[in-house]
Amino acid sequence: MTTEQKQDPEFIQFRYPREVTYHHALGYQSKFANGLKQGRILATKCPVDGRCTIPPRIVCPMHHVRQTEWVDQGQRGRLISAFKINFPMFNSRTGELQTWENPIIAVELEGGARMDGWCMETDPSKLKTGMLLEAVWRPEEERQGRADDIMYWKPIEE
Amino acid sequence: MAERIAIVGVGQTHHKSKRLDVTTAEMCAEAVERCLEDAQMTMKDIDNIVMGSFEVADGYYSPDKWIIPELGAVGKSGLEMQNVGTTGGVVAATGFNIAATGLFDAVLCLAWQKMDEAAGAFGRGGGGTNEYWTGQFPMSPITNFARRAYAYMDRSGCTEEHFAMVRVKQDQCAMKNEYAQLRLGLTLEKVMNDALLAWPIRRLHMCPTTAGAAACIVCPEGKAKKVTNKPVWVEDWYTCHQGGSLTMAEDPTSSTLAYASNLVYKRNGITNPPKDIQAWEVYEPASPAELRWIEEVGICEDYTAWKLFEQNKVGIDKEIPFNPSGGVTATNPIGATPVVRLVEAALQVRGDAGEHQIPGTINRAMATGYGGQGENVIMLLRKTL
Repeated sequence: MTTEQKQDPEFIQFRYPREVTYHHALGYQSKFANGLKQGRILATKCPVDGRCTIPPRIVCPMHHVRQTEWVDQGQRGRLISAFKINFPMFNSRTGELQTWENPIIAVELEGGARMDGWCMETDPSKLKTGMLLEAVWRPEEERQGRADDIMYWKPIEE
Repeated sequence: MAERIAIVGVGQTHHKSKRLDVTTAEMCAEAVERCLEDAQMTMKDIDNIVMGSFEVADGYYSPDKWIIPELGAVGKSGLEMQNVGTTGGVVAATGFNIAATGLFDAVLCLAWQKMDEAAGAFGRGGGGTNEYWTGQFPMSPITNFARRAYAYMDRSGCTEEHFAMVRVKQDQCAMKNEYAQLRLGLTLEKVMNDALLAWPIRRLHMCPTTAGAAACIVCPEGKAKKVTNKPVWVEDWYTCHQGGSLTMAEDPTSSTLAYASNLVYKRNGITNPPKDIQAWEVYEPASPAELRWIEEVGICEDYTAWKLFEQNKVGIDKEIPFNPSGGVTATNPIGATPVVRLVEAALQVRGDAGEHQIPGTINRAMATGYGGQGENVIMLLRKTL
């Protein structure tokens, strides 16, 4: 059916490539970005239940109270979940299709906050929920304050 | 005091991977025409229109400028909305809210998606929700559900074969639904050997890209009784915002579905969901998700739904009639998908679903919309008030 439609000269389709550049302000979360440049992972802490959250927020999403305290989350955490992409997918920063060797993981940091990252171990069968991981940073001069200033999370023997 | 409301007409297009023969507006008109015909109404009878799609996946903004004229509805009152995959859900819920005011006689709820025109928009947009927080990852529904499926296997002890059982059941249902896009005649072996996208998600486990539209007409009680002798009463509805983090849920297998359905059950006296609800059309973008969703809507205990498939208990004419239309892995015009669920649930209540009609009387049906990484819309329908 699809092929027939494509060959049918009665119906015509036009292609419109578009390129748009956005400039998004980081606001209160800028403190998190500046922390990354210094090799620190900072999260906001809820004064009601003490829970630390990344992305940081001015107010706690559950208790809706102001969060003024920032807590350094340390350099280590435990694996919550992981998956590996087995097919080429678009890099949203470059718009190019590329392959992805490293699993994407969720980590619960020593300070209690959770964040996503890349795992240095490329074999997903070697990843176990709860395993200890340590942040591997880009050299300081290359850091931009983005979450991927942490290049990988590296499994640590206990 | 809110009016009681009912769905008096439903319509959808035959969903396809490509529709070069129609524009987005023409495709919408197709669904609306079928809906008006079903309700035995004309556009003159409609006095409010709520409409929407996931705009990024369409490539048009302000699409109502093009669609409203095609419907012959210029000058009518209405709203345009969008909320990713739940768009159709918020369209319907807003339509319900408007109808319940009693200020309008007939509210048309319309949702659509023509994914053959910008299917790549999802991938290029990364997570799409926030570039700073998700932009480093090639996030998509595939990666979202790969993570959920991995965590589900980890916690439940189920295997990849159970995901394949779900997919085969979905296809068996879709084979009986003439509006479904993918009707493939799948076997367990075919699913198990299909291309791996992001382990444990295979190509066949994911919803397809679809061009399609769906619509329904909602009226307050007085008008509904005049229009049709088969009103489908809207018992309750709830749109649930997602709490917690942008980048990951507190529980990677979980969404807001359990929270939202429990809330709706409580205020409608539903204590035994698999008994009190006879038909389910729940938005499951990937086959592994159906297992968790069955648990979250309260059909069985957490992390046990895979056993129901092992025991062959899920299907149109089985103990648990879950997604008799074939569901979202067969058909997914994203923004429209929750309205497709609503249309299908309404047809089940009326007894008009045709080959995929669940046997016996359907007194109550539940339809949902899902989107982003966990938002849900619950829509509860009744045969009688």
